[in-house]
Amino acid sequence: MSEKNFLTKALTDSVLTRRSFLKWSAALGGTAALAGGMGYGLKAVEAAAENAASVGKWVPGACWGNCGGRCLNVAYVVDGVVTRQKTDDTHPDSPDYPQQRGCARGRSQRQRVFGADRLKYPMKRANWAPGGGDKSLRGRDAWVRISWDEALTIVTSEIKRIDQAYGPKARLWGTNAIAAYGGYVSTWGSTSSGTWSYTSPAVFGSYSSAGNDRLEMRKSKLIVMWSTDPIQVSGGNPAYNYLQAKKAGAKFIFVDPYYNPSATVLADEWIPIRPGTDTALLLAMGYVLITKDDPATNPLIDWSFINNNTIGFDKTSLPAGADIEDTYRDYVLGLDYSGMPAPEGHKNYPPKTPEWASEITGVTPEKIRSFAIEIAQTKPVAFMESDASARINGAQTFGQAFMAISSLIGSIGISGGGTGQTRHSAAGNIGPSLVRAGPANTVLENASNPIKMRVNNNETWGALLKGEYTSAVNEKTPLNIQMIYFTKGSNLQTMVGQAKGIQAVRQVEFVLATDFHMATGCRYADIVLPVTTQWERDNYITSPNREALFWADRVIDPLFEAKDDSWIDWEIGLRLGVYDPAVEEISAKQQAFNKIAGATVLAADGKTKDTLVTITAEDLVALGVTGEPQTGVIPIMEFKQKGSFQVPRKEGDNYTSIALKSFREDPVANPVTTESGKIELHSQKLAADIYAIGFSTIRPIPEYIPAQRGYEATFSDWTNKVKGPYPLQMYNKHYWRRSHTEFDNVLQLREAFPQEFVMNPIDAVARGIKNSDMVKITSSEGSTIRHVMVTDRLMPGVTILPHGAWTEFDDVLGLDKAGSDNYIEAGVPVGEGNMGFNSQIVQVEKWNGPALAPDSRWPQRIPIKEV
Amino acid sequence: MAKQLAFYFDASACTGCKACAIACKDRSSLPVGINWRKVYDYGGGGWNTDPTHPEIMIPNNVFVYSTSTACMHCENPSCVAACPAKAISKREDGVVLINANVCIGCRYCEWACPYGAPQFNTTLGVMTKCDFCQDLQAQGLNPACVDACPMRALGYGELDTLRQAHGTVNAIEPLPSADITHPAIVITPHKHSQPSGQGTGRIIKLEEV
Repeated sequence: MSEKNFLTKALTDSVLTRRSFLKWSAALGGTAALAGGMGYGLKAVEAAAENAASVGKWVPGACWGNCGGRCLNVAYVVDGVVTRQKTDDTHPDSPDYPQQRGCARGRSQRQRVFGADRLKYPMKRANWAPGGGDKSLRGRDAWVRISWDEALTIVTSEIKRIDQAYGPKARLWGTNAIAAYGGYVSTWGSTSSGTWSYTSPAVFGSYSSAGNDRLEMRKSKLIVMWSTDPIQVSGGNPAYNYLQAKKAGAKFIFVDPYYNPSATVLADEWIPIRPGTDTALLLAMGYVLITKDDPATNPLIDWSFINNNTIGFDKTSLPAGADIEDTYRDYVLGLDYSGMPAPEGHKNYPPKTPEWASEITGVTPEKIRSFAIEIAQTKPVAFMESDASARINGAQTFGQAFMAISSLIGSIGISGGGTGQTRHSAAGNIGPSLVRAGPANTVLENASNPIKMRVNNNETWGALLKGEYTSAVNEKTPLNIQMIYFTKGSNLQTMVGQAKGIQAVRQVEFVLATDFHMATGCRYADIVLPVTTQWERDNYITSPNREALFWADRVIDPLFEAKDDSWIDWEIGLRLGVYDPAVEEISAKQQAFNKIAGATVLAADGKTKDTLVTITAEDLVALGVTGEPQTGVIPIMEFKQKGSFQVPRKEGDNYTSIALKSFREDPVANPVTTESGKIELHSQKLAADIYAIGFSTIRPIPEYIPAQRGYEATFSDWTNKVKGPYPLQMYNKHYWRRSHTEFDNVLQLREAFPQEFVMNPIDAVARGIKNSDMVKITSSEGSTIRHVMVTDRLMPGVTILPHGAWTEFDDVLGLDKAGSDNYIEAGVPVGEGNMGFNSQIVQVEKWNGPALAPDSRWPQRIPIKEV
Repeated sequence: MAKQLAFYFDASACTGCKACAIACKDRSSLPVGINWRKVYDYGGGGWNTDPTHPEIMIPNNVFVYSTSTACMHCENPSCVAACPAKAISKREDGVVLINANVCIGCRYCEWACPYGAPQFNTTLGVMTKCDFCQDLQAQGLNPACVDACPMRALGYGELDTLRQAHGTVNAIEPLPSADITHPAIVITPHKHSQPSGQGTGRIIKLEEV
């Protein structure tokens, strides 16, 4: 089939034509109705269905994305075109052994793969010339189709030209070939997990979490979901796992500015809180616990845990060299070294009373007291969070304040307890993997990047414009970037400060982007290279969660002229002379086989590691790979056909995981990997790490740091509560429509989830704004326009712009029209250098300019229209 | 054969994620603008100043719940009665089907149906709606929406059997009163579900723009 016919077929099959509709309607009984009046014969339907089922085949296909869900997708392939999808039906469904069901996003993968907006061939910007030509046209120029050979020639000649003129430090980002060719400047900083990525290792010594697995969760009496919305963020089963805990009797309390979708099903109580003020609430809860605890008459604090498993609670457990005023207790109670109330101006002033926290958080003092008492008196409690509160400018101490509360109530290392992050592939089910893939056994070694210049994410776009970046404490280093390499096109969309990013991208000499859609990076590039989707590749082996391993087959051959990223890197490397053409990498298919052949699964005893698959000599021939026969738990061909292996679970099995259980029982024999081996309510490492980064300093205890661009910043006069020019808080919840920025172009998701801006009626009425009006949202960085959803499920004073929409920057109006959160978010380099997506302040007004059509009616981004 | 096939919907487990609606669109390759299965978020309540702390706003009975709906394959389908071309009929198993070969595209059924189930396909010039995935059922498979739900909030079966298992609720806000068409649906209400016609909230969505 020619490419053109192929495309036509794919497109006509993804929408219903009259012809296909009538044919299909007949299969459902229409013809039978005509023939036999009202006697709709089921037999006719059966025959038609059987006929329909015989023409294609179901193939397990990847669900790739960075949501952490990555559930099971199966694609129905007819003549190389996927006409339908389904999710896991490889085994009967039960709460203990659930099918790995996908979400609206995953079920839209065929709309991405076969969308009319797939990039089909290499392209160059129409007005591109060596050195860039008119660089201001980036983002609004026309596109010209070019051959792969021309594209790769342009790419390598620009790389060489810029290398000769400016050296390798003029390149921002790169692939293996670029690393081998002298390297590139890279960027750093936590994204999704916010400050936890620094806090966890320093405070409790584990990056991921101290939470328990899903069957343990059913033993919880109370589950606190702090800024946690599993169904929207990590679709698929996580929310269902929580539902089982609810059915088993757990009470759920949600702490969130928004009555989120998971809360609508799970929450028994909702505590609305202003974004970025979580640490204040946690400290006041600590105040309540410390001041109300009486071991004899009102035991609230797990003193055994505090005394044996933590340091820094009070003077008796400070590390050497610590300032004796830097204890959790004295800071929370507002005391100085002598145990007296610290005077105003003292670093421990004031006491962190519920009244103090109430003014900041918007939670009443009574609620703060009752919440603290409830979590202390209920046993066991799972005290969980999923990062949103850590994606704040100024959340440097949030995780430590959070772990302090779980330490005080002793919810760590116990059955039905657990604490810390519950997110991504460990959302609602935390613990070591029960089944693991083996190594790919590739032959080529990755080149290490010799350039050590790393720019913080927050600073990147500003640093390009200013020509310098923060390299250490009180140290700036010059930066002259002249080439940007966007792989999978997304950095210009995923990073805060996009308004500056567009300016920065328009000033460098060369911009290269690879992707399968015209995502933001591609749009602002000079050369765009089309890559394959995971459905066109051989080697997608992934763990959706601790209990399953997926082996996604190649569903279809690469569409049009799309190539794998590895092929592009190889071709660029050959042209740059950094790769030896005689030493090729083993095939993706062989890599996938190696991972499966080396996979292991935990046996029923919970200890023994068994080889996962049995492989025969015939299997090796059938798969077309080299390897050795072996004996395992399931036949390899069965795994390949199903695409999934999942460990069955049941109550009382040996697969439960209670994080830090041995540490709780004997912290001396089983220390955590912090400096002291204990949970550090006073962490010298955390303070030292943040100092060394060079943006700001913190104390070693979880002091409250008002967020830059947080609630306090909405006031020009805090004492008299006079609002400033940006009186509303804005945060950017993860959104149904996308996994971060992925899936934004899918029309059926745009229709289902319209990228609405969210406001409370009180704030809307004050501005003459009604539900569905167009509004203009303005921050210090710029403006975006959107339709507004006015609803009481969001607390007053707070607004939401969902995360990840691909910017539609209008050069004439000078604003974004897509509701791109990162367009109005600012890069604020502070603390650990995490991006503070959830801390921005804005003003909102009714937009009287031209109204936007719904996103689902916007033209698809098809850079070159076929005739 | 079933006397009356019906959907089951557990409102207490529905998060409004629309996996069902998207699975439905995928199974039938429905274009933008046609949604045989729809999901509504319904909510209400408000915010008051706290009596003892006037500077603090506290939620006053703020609630939200989600409802997934498709064609109800009603016992008394108003679309059948409204169709001048007799293109819509109720099968022996209760499933209501549109015969596209007979449909004249007059859209009377769209006007008659209180659930918005029949939808006009402008390209085809005919009405379309949920057919209960009869092709899948004929293969012994479940409707696409039922197998899609990550919260396992959807089911289907013989209406009487579902009623025995889950009760007789067949209308909650924002659905219309069941008196109109006697929908073949069994609903486990959400704790905040309000009876049809007596709601204090509204559908939370952007109006068509």
